[in-house]
Amino acid sequence: MPENRIYEDLSLVQRRANIVFWIVSVLIALALGYYWKVQILEHKKYADLSEANRTRMRVLAAPRGLIRDRRGGILADNKASFKVSLIRENVKDEAASTAAIARLLGIDEATLRGRVALRKDLQAFEPIVIADGLEAQDVAPIESRRLELPELVVESEPQRFYPGGGLAAHVLGYLQEPPPEEIQARPERKVRPGELVGRTGIERQYDDVLRGRDGAAYEVVDSLGRVRGETARQFPIQGRDVVLTLDPVLQAEAERSLEGREGVVIALDAETGGILALASFPTYDPNRFITRFTQAEWSALMSDPLAPLENRAIRGLYAPGSIFKLVMAMAGLGFGYVTADTSVYCSGATEIYGAIRHCWFAPGHGAMNLTDAIRNSCNIYFYGLGRRMPIDTIAAAAGRLGLGRRTEVDLDGEKDGLVPSEKWKKDTLKAPWYPGETISVAIGQGPLQVTPMQVAALTARIAGRGRVVRPHLLRDDAAVASAPTAGGPAPSDGLPPFTSATYEAVIAGMWGSVNEGGTGAGARVESFDVCGKTGSTQTMSRESAERLARAGRPVKTHSWFSGFAPRVRPRIVVTVLVEFGGGGGATAAPVAGRIFDLFKKGLERP
Amino acid sequence: MMMIDRRLVGEIDWVLLALILLQSLIGVVFIYSSTNFLPGAFYVRQLIWIGLGLLAMMFVLAIDYKFFVALSGYFYGLVVLLLVATLVFARLVAGTKSWITLGLMQIQPSELAKIVLILVFARLFAEYKSAYLKTAHTLGALAVAGVPLVLIIAQPDLGTAMTFVAIVGGAFVLAGLRKKAVILLLLAALGLGVGGWTIGLKDYQKKRVTTLINPAGDPRGSGYQVIQSKIAIGSGGLAGKGFGKGTQSQLRFLPARHTDFIFSVIGEETGFLGVLVVIVLYFALLARMFLSAAKARDRAGVYIIFTASLLIAFQFLVNILMIIGLFPVVGITLPFLSYGGSSLLTSYVACGLVLNVRMRRFANV
Repeated sequence: MPENRIYEDLSLVQRRANIVFWIVSVLIALALGYYWKVQILEHKKYADLSEANRTRMRVLAAPRGLIRDRRGGILADNKASFKVSLIRENVKDEAASTAAIARLLGIDEATLRGRVALRKDLQAFEPIVIADGLEAQDVAPIESRRLELPELVVESEPQRFYPGGGLAAHVLGYLQEPPPEEIQARPERKVRPGELVGRTGIERQYDDVLRGRDGAAYEVVDSLGRVRGETARQFPIQGRDVVLTLDPVLQAEAERSLEGREGVVIALDAETGGILALASFPTYDPNRFITRFTQAEWSALMSDPLAPLENRAIRGLYAPGSIFKLVMAMAGLGFGYVTADTSVYCSGATEIYGAIRHCWFAPGHGAMNLTDAIRNSCNIYFYGLGRRMPIDTIAAAAGRLGLGRRTEVDLDGEKDGLVPSEKWKKDTLKAPWYPGETISVAIGQGPLQVTPMQVAALTARIAGRGRVVRPHLLRDDAAVASAPTAGGPAPSDGLPPFTSATYEAVIAGMWGSVNEGGTGAGARVESFDVCGKTGSTQTMSRESAERLARAGRPVKTHSWFSGFAPRVRPRIVVTVLVEFGGGGGATAAPVAGRIFDLFKKGLERP
Repeated sequence: MMMIDRRLVGEIDWVLLALILLQSLIGVVFIYSSTNFLPGAFYVRQLIWIGLGLLAMMFVLAIDYKFFVALSGYFYGLVVLLLVATLVFARLVAGTKSWITLGLMQIQPSELAKIVLILVFARLFAEYKSAYLKTAHTLGALAVAGVPLVLIIAQPDLGTAMTFVAIVGGAFVLAGLRKKAVILLLLAALGLGVGGWTIGLKDYQKKRVTTLINPAGDPRGSGYQVIQSKIAIGSGGLAGKGFGKGTQSQLRFLPARHTDFIFSVIGEETGFLGVLVVIVLYFALLARMFLSAAKARDRAGVYIIFTASLLIAFQFLVNILMIIGLFPVVGITLPFLSYGGSSLLTSYVACGLVLNVRMRRFANV
């Protein structure tokens, strides 16, 4: 065969190429035959499989643990409720679908779009919750239209329910869906989108205990998202219960007594510090906004000038008023500025640093020792103490009794309060402390700020003759701090520790205040030996208050009462604050009296 | 030489070109059906790629294939360099180093390597006139193909590597294999296969092979795609569920439905009739390509037409067998129909070479 480029004999390779092509052709024919088998002969089998196609994991939400009071009554329960979710990939015509669903759920289209947009980062096949907290009768019309609206999924979920309505609302707190950033910030908590977690109160404090472990159902879902069966199920585990120290009877009475006012009632177990009652008014019903969508109700509460969502017991900052005279008395006696017998004469007014200062009792109390001064809440006596004690000594006594720092109660968001000192003024106001300011502090005014919880803890500390008591809500709190020695832990302020004689002298004044015609007489309970101290806090400057008083105009003051009973081996501490309640003796003391009375009756019952 | 004169234009195989465009447009239609609810307008992008493919094809047609063959040695060196660079520099895309970024353009050198291999083999075998392959020549060809092949396996891009093996095997068949050589090559392949299985293959790749034998063994993992795809095809029946109404593909039970699994969408939405039409048209296209070999003016031309046709045919066959569960899922696209620029460009250039050889069958050197 000649080697010729133009007339090269290519027949051999061309024949081989043809052979390969025919092999390819045969393979294609065989493949086509297999398609015939699958599509025609086995069509029914695959058509059925296509109908019931996919297994999908559905989260079975774990019910939260219950919250109970000390007698086992349920404060926070769960009830069955329904939620409706939207699966975006099943939406055929978005505009029509949105309109139909909005009409079905009774919400407007913009709201619905907003709820979906909130979760637009989810995969298209993941359901987005668009309505929740529904009753069975609400979801019946939705269920009946399942075929037309395959994008809707109706599921039941356990929902928080507070059987007492607003009872102990500030203790229990409320639930909310955390913002996405917060979920991402703490991935170890495994909060799934749409899950409600505790935002305040016990619900927040013990959220990790109360939250259970979610279960899962592996369901076979057909191409329209309809559930066709279940392949496996992992049952959810309910969260653990939390038992509180709250006493339902005292709690109810505390709330009843505050009805229509703003204020706080706290009752503590004097021995353990367990909180028997904690009411903060105004309050709210947490049942009203247990939903992911809390527009109107929620914003109304948030913008209410009376701040019903705030727990005033731990977040309200008030001047302690005459309650602070207890601290002054402890400091004066304990640090040797006066003895129990030192006598001061009250003529109704006195001149200090060139200004006339009045006692609240214009005719004057006459000659008084420390115990009398506490009983009558005499300003003149404590002005005198304030003139002799440096502010830092007063601050040391206040610090020992727990003011100026959190009580470490097991509730989130507690405030520190403020006990002024020379250093504090220099640091924050860049000015020296003036002795005249000490005079205001001596009767519980000036920059002093306390929370009612701090006052309750202070009272418990005096009742325990120096035993440290930490207020708490969890009944089985292992960390119930107690220091059995009088005077508590060795003071680090270089001043002598408080002796039990000091406590007894102050307590004698508190007893007299309630039982010997003192300012706290309204809290008296027959044969229960209530000891207490009243306070009226000026909410305006002292000068203008005195001017108004002289003019016979009513002075709006916050009224305090804080006390314990009985005098020996105290069982209960009660602290009452009523905002703008007028005199502490007239308003707050009777409220405390009713709590003491109820508690005493409870003790007498077998 | 650069200009195409009127006489040459008349020699273009318009039927083949029409078949190519027809398949491409069928692809666009079903890419639309399976992605219209997704952002990104995939079908528009595919149309742009088809336009670019046609431009590339015109460029390939404008130059005599002899010129490409003559330069194939340089192309080869360049593509080996690119593959090495890809391995070294390319950022990891989905666990495989198969993409390299050149300025604004992302290219897949392994796709380029397929074209280069066609040209290099045409050159290697152009002067090879004996009826059967000799050992020295076989080993030489194996070495030439082996270097890029190893680099591609290292990426690892098993699908392209497999296509490579098919082209090399096809070229050997064309050059003529004796029984002894066939047995030796099979033994070598077997040895490499067993060795590669035990040390070379990743777990997920092994799983794909075992899944072929028992897809139900792993219904949520690698068997998932095959099961879903088979359900899609089988549920299509004779006439299909209708355009845009495939529940499997529309509801996204089917993964990669606009790329590797586009034919499943066709099977589901147009049924066996649609499958039959597409396969028959594809057969016509392949026949037109393969049978052009008879019109080649020289040996290099025959090799080009044959290997290019085999490239398309192999990918077509593997894809349509893969999606119905007769072949492991190896990530081989369906030429012309699947979404994706790189594979589309490769297919158009390969067809351009076939058209080029056929068009210049009377040309004087």
